[in-house]
Amino acid sequence: MTTATEPITEYRSWAVEEFRLEEEPYYVPVADEVEVFEAAWNNKIPVLLKGPTGCGKTRFVEYMAYHLNRPLAVVRDGKTEIEAESNLPLVTVACHEDLTASDLVGRYLLEGNETVWIDGPLTRAVKAGAICYLDEVVEARKDTTVLIHPLTDHRRILPVEKKSQLLQARDGFLLVISFNPGYQSALKDLKQSTRQRFVAVEFDYPPRETEAEIVQHESGCSADVALNLAKMAEKIRNLREHGLAEGASTRLLIYAGRMIAQGVTPRRACQVSIVWPLTDDGEVQRSIEEVVSSIFED
Amino acid sequence: MTDATPNSTIEEAREGLRQFPPALGQEFESALEQVQPVLEPDELAQWLREGLDIARHSLRSWEAASEYYRASASVLEQITYERMRDWCAVGIELMETSPALSGALFRASPQVLPHLSVSQADDWAAQGKSLYKGTWKSGSLSAQYFDVSPQILPHLPLSQMRLLVDLIDSLASHSYELASACLGMAPGVLSQLDRSDRAPFLEFGGIVAHTAWVDARVYFERGPGALRQVSEQQRPRYLSLSGQVATQVGRLGHPYFIEAAQALSEVDKEIHEGLLELAEQLAEHSGDAAMEFIKSSPRVADRLGIDDIARWQAFGLNVLQQSRDGGEAFFRLESARGEEVMEALSSRVDLDRVSELIRMYCKALTGVDVGVKASEELTAKGVGWVDESSPTTEGTTIYLPENVERYPTKDENFAVYKVFATHQAGRLEFGSFDYQAAADPALFPASENGSSNGQPDQGGQAGSHGSALVSVQEDEGEIHTDMERFFDQFEDRRLAHDLFTIVEDTRIDTIVKREYAGVRRAFSRLQQAAIDRRRPIEDMPARQAMVENLLRASLDEVGRIRWPGELAEELRTPLRILNRIRQDGATVQDSAAATALLYNWLSQIPNMEMDSEDWSDFEQEMSGEPEAGDDSDMMPGSGSSGLEESFMPFMPGSEEQPYDSPDPVDFRGDFKPELVQLLMKLKGETGSGDAPPIPLTKEQLQELLEKSVEISINELMDMDLAESSGMFLDNLLKEVNQIQGERQEGQQAMGDDSTGAEDGAELPVEAQSFYYDEWDFRAADYKPRWCRVQEQRGESGTTNYYTETLHEHTQLVQETRKQFEMLRPEMFRKMKRLTDGEDYDLDAVIEWYTEKIAGGASETKLFYRRNKVDRDVAVAFLLDVSASTDEEIQKHHDQRQDDQFDDDPRKYLSWWAQRRAEAARHPGKRIIDLEKEAVVLLIEALETIGDKYGVYGFSGYGRDNVEFFVYKDMDEPFGDRIKERIDKIAPVRSTRMGPAIRHCIWKLQNTDAKVKILILLSDGRPQDHGYGRDRTEKEYAIHDTKMALTEARREGMVPFALTVDRAGHDYLKQMCQDMAYEVVADIESLPRRLPALYRRLTG
Repeated sequence: MTTATEPITEYRSWAVEEFRLEEEPYYVPVADEVEVFEAAWNNKIPVLLKGPTGCGKTRFVEYMAYHLNRPLAVVRDGKTEIEAESNLPLVTVACHEDLTASDLVGRYLLEGNETVWIDGPLTRAVKAGAICYLDEVVEARKDTTVLIHPLTDHRRILPVEKKSQLLQARDGFLLVISFNPGYQSALKDLKQSTRQRFVAVEFDYPPRETEAEIVQHESGCSADVALNLAKMAEKIRNLREHGLAEGASTRLLIYAGRMIAQGVTPRRACQVSIVWPLTDDGEVQRSIEEVVSSIFED
Repeated sequence: MTDATPNSTIEEAREGLRQFPPALGQEFESALEQVQPVLEPDELAQWLREGLDIARHSLRSWEAASEYYRASASVLEQITYERMRDWCAVGIELMETSPALSGALFRASPQVLPHLSVSQADDWAAQGKSLYKGTWKSGSLSAQYFDVSPQILPHLPLSQMRLLVDLIDSLASHSYELASACLGMAPGVLSQLDRSDRAPFLEFGGIVAHTAWVDARVYFERGPGALRQVSEQQRPRYLSLSGQVATQVGRLGHPYFIEAAQALSEVDKEIHEGLLELAEQLAEHSGDAAMEFIKSSPRVADRLGIDDIARWQAFGLNVLQQSRDGGEAFFRLESARGEEVMEALSSRVDLDRVSELIRMYCKALTGVDVGVKASEELTAKGVGWVDESSPTTEGTTIYLPENVERYPTKDENFAVYKVFATHQAGRLEFGSFDYQAAADPALFPASENGSSNGQPDQGGQAGSHGSALVSVQEDEGEIHTDMERFFDQFEDRRLAHDLFTIVEDTRIDTIVKREYAGVRRAFSRLQQAAIDRRRPIEDMPARQAMVENLLRASLDEVGRIRWPGELAEELRTPLRILNRIRQDGATVQDSAAATALLYNWLSQIPNMEMDSEDWSDFEQEMSGEPEAGDDSDMMPGSGSSGLEESFMPFMPGSEEQPYDSPDPVDFRGDFKPELVQLLMKLKGETGSGDAPPIPLTKEQLQELLEKSVEISINELMDMDLAESSGMFLDNLLKEVNQIQGERQEGQQAMGDDSTGAEDGAELPVEAQSFYYDEWDFRAADYKPRWCRVQEQRGESGTTNYYTETLHEHTQLVQETRKQFEMLRPEMFRKMKRLTDGEDYDLDAVIEWYTEKIAGGASETKLFYRRNKVDRDVAVAFLLDVSASTDEEIQKHHDQRQDDQFDDDPRKYLSWWAQRRAEAARHPGKRIIDLEKEAVVLLIEALETIGDKYGVYGFSGYGRDNVEFFVYKDMDEPFGDRIKERIDKIAPVRSTRMGPAIRHCIWKLQNTDAKVKILILLSDGRPQDHGYGRDRTEKEYAIHDTKMALTEARREGMVPFALTVDRAGHDYLKQMCQDMAYEVVADIESLPRRLPALYRRLTG
């Protein structure tokens, strides 16, 4: 259930905390991550998703948000109606190095002659009982941990310093953070005191057949192409730490698959959507292209 | 004697000769005896008179007369007296110059006459005479001319004699000894030359004599030999080219001649003409370029055909016209452009250019860290591989031929490499070496005792041999590889090995083609080529023919299978067995099973020649899968009365022949599964966990060696069996130990990183080599891979030095530390006046509020935000540790005036003693000491701000040996080890800055930081052996250094040169131009100056 604020627009917008997925996101479970996540949510244990870029962490969170149901109370015209079961709202925050605590909690803004308090996304998620997904959390400034810590233990409290408030999280609220242990430097590692507040789900690229299935579904390319793409990705990932910082992500494979489905030749599609995005090193590029040309005939 | 002869005249002559030594009289008498009968009386009278005239001519002319008499008879045998007079007139005329010469002329006359006409006598004598300059040395040279003329004239017409005389004459102006020696050699030299080459040879010799007379002797000695290296028809042309060059280049002309001829001997004679033509074009612009071109031709011709060489030359000519030096470097192959153009024109692909690419490719395919090397490296190890040109693998590295030049384009040749690599990688990826006997219940039932169940071991002997081995295997501590056990099952190991190779290669090829559809085309092309090279099958004995057919079938080319039609049925089953391995999911175990089945079939086929009228080609269907995949029909002899009997009718009276392995297939290369498994086992790399490597006695290896068909000792080395097998074992053990050694070192290195370098002494690490280009400013181009930088860790001393230095400079250390702490970045910088931010900026709010009250506030930018500012600096310090830093620093203030001592010797003595003691306690500081101190202080300072830094030193001698010492690497944590290494910083050799800077750039490139700084600390100008055209050229080194610093800038680094050479300004200005540099005037202030400078650079 989402509400578009304007009935006739070319885009749609939601209040942050009201965003819900209407259609089931496509996600193929690789192991028991779905069960683990569900159990964590049931027990209000925050979740840490680890894994390389483009392996499906975000998609997984969306998938879980869609599937985790709870009775939804909607306040409409002053009356509280209990609607049927609804999936969870999902608040996603992409963290960057200048993301501060007040970006998450909220701040006063001036409006005419007065100051108005605006809740930040985290506050909204706490109030709405949404899943709050902090993507690439290590990128954010250290002061954000002040917020994360009380929210992630038994207290489930968000201190709103500027308003001198404490917010108790609503049921359903779950903090999910993601982090890619691969490329961050030692400085950007997650602190133990933070890490140890989460259950961790480790992600890696799915096995060849699963990945092929995903690529085929997402890109609309043929099964053959999808399988070859998955095979190629497997080969390229062998070069991780040997010229390549990261292997080819499932996301890139899907891009390549889409290009191929559009009629771009496979070799060219791989070049533009895999080889070039992956690395600037000429020799490594050439090596990967040889792998590509070994797998695809044209 | 006739009466008409006036005896009185004779008497008169005798009388006249009496005043001369009696020897003359004797010569006269014997001559008279011979000439009297042939001369007319008046002629005789004249002859008598002439002799007397000669003798009387001057003081020593009687000697000439004696020669005259001696020659007369034989001259008269050749010409009439009339003509002889004309001839002698020339000699007599020569008397005017020197009687000695005249004598020499008469002496040579009899032998010269067959080669000269009388009318040429003048010319001949004139040439000799021209050598005479009035001195006795020139006289004897001139006489020598007449003496050797008889030996020279048979080889050289008189007209060309002039060339020789000019040459000798020109040499004589420098040295008569040399001239005489050369003249003496001339007959020998000329006789070695072809007639048509002689004049050009002398012409070039003349130029050599002019331009580099000292080389003349060498030219005479070695010239003909050198010339023989040139194609026959081209020799005159080569000589004239050499001459043209020599007139331009002077002294270098002759060495060029010798060297270029040597180079020509290394290229095909067919292209000499073409090369010379190209060189002639170059010679018009630069003689050096022309000769360098020829000298480079072997390397160029190795890569290019003559047409492409012409294209290459044209490119170089273009360069030459723009810059002489550039063009010459191009043809010397000392410029990057020269190599590039050659590379671009050549279709050959060299392994060293693509090995890294292929290595990554193979790593991608296999997922393991494979190496890629030239096959030669494996054969050089002498551990069983002998073929230098075929691809192979020993389980950890893929070996490929050094270059591929099979097709006319680079892409096609690279594709060949790719097929080679993919097949070898396939062996690793798809487990060709993973055969496990235990997983093969059919061959190795749990209770097996080594008996060959159902095996066709007819010979009981061989059977028992096999069982003995297998039972040994069950003893503890014995090692036998699974592959060995497998082959032990078969009486004929060679046949089993060949079959296994065919089956396994089929499996690998099939998987590769299925998995890597992209290489299919190239694969098929090579398969096609391989099949085209197969030997005709009809001559082979039956078993061998069958193996050959299987191999052909394995190449996807069943159409080429040939087999007697009468025996078609006997072919069907083996083909079917082979084809089953093409099924999806087949493993090496299946290959083994198929091998066993095939062996059963083939070992029953008698290896005799087949006599068939009906050799025919067989079709694809032959190998098709039967209706039911039942193994039972694959057993030989089932149902039928046995294979042997079906073959017998076609083998009338032939004899069993020894079995030969089929010819290898080039793109599949060598396959030695048994050896690979052995190596892996010896190295402790068995699939089953971390089993320690098992020691193996020589005897055990020996046994294995004798058994295995993969190692043929006699191919391996040219020695007797016992010796060479011993050698092989040594090599094998060495190889294994070496790898284990490497592994231990690797672990050690890893330990360093994790423990922060606490434990004991470091292992000495082998120097790592890096190659860098060098800038040749004259050619305005890089010399490719010109310098070898050898990176090595600095030696370790003790930490005392470091501690003492800190102690000595306590004050300074504290100062700099404080200053550096101030450098420490504020972590955040406030950005004010934002519409949105972390919080209100109080000042802005107040302002806004006052304005608002005043009634006009519109500004709402009231927020601030703190932006994170990272100090992200990496710096590389490059210390000059050349020998010149060993210099002690003069201390001016120690120079005391004599008058300080008031002429009191006691005072002076005590001062002197004091000074001695002082000097013993504190020896004078050298530049290097100050460099070290500066580094210590800087490290202390750097540690407080946490910048990444590396400390390196460089020195070396010559371009192959640029030493690069690592005292602290970029990513190494600071600790006692670093302190120990700083202790041992010591002056070494020369100063070749360019490559060291380039290596530093490389270090910085591999470091992640926003700001990268390269600080070069030196004590003087760059100089090194061969750093420049000659010893005195300083500019070259400076330009190269400048270029290296410019490269650093291009990479976004900040280069900074710091020198303690007070004469530094002039060349630093040139070297650094618009870059920052500093000359530290007071050397002793360096320790203070360096940290200050660093602060300024990064602050």
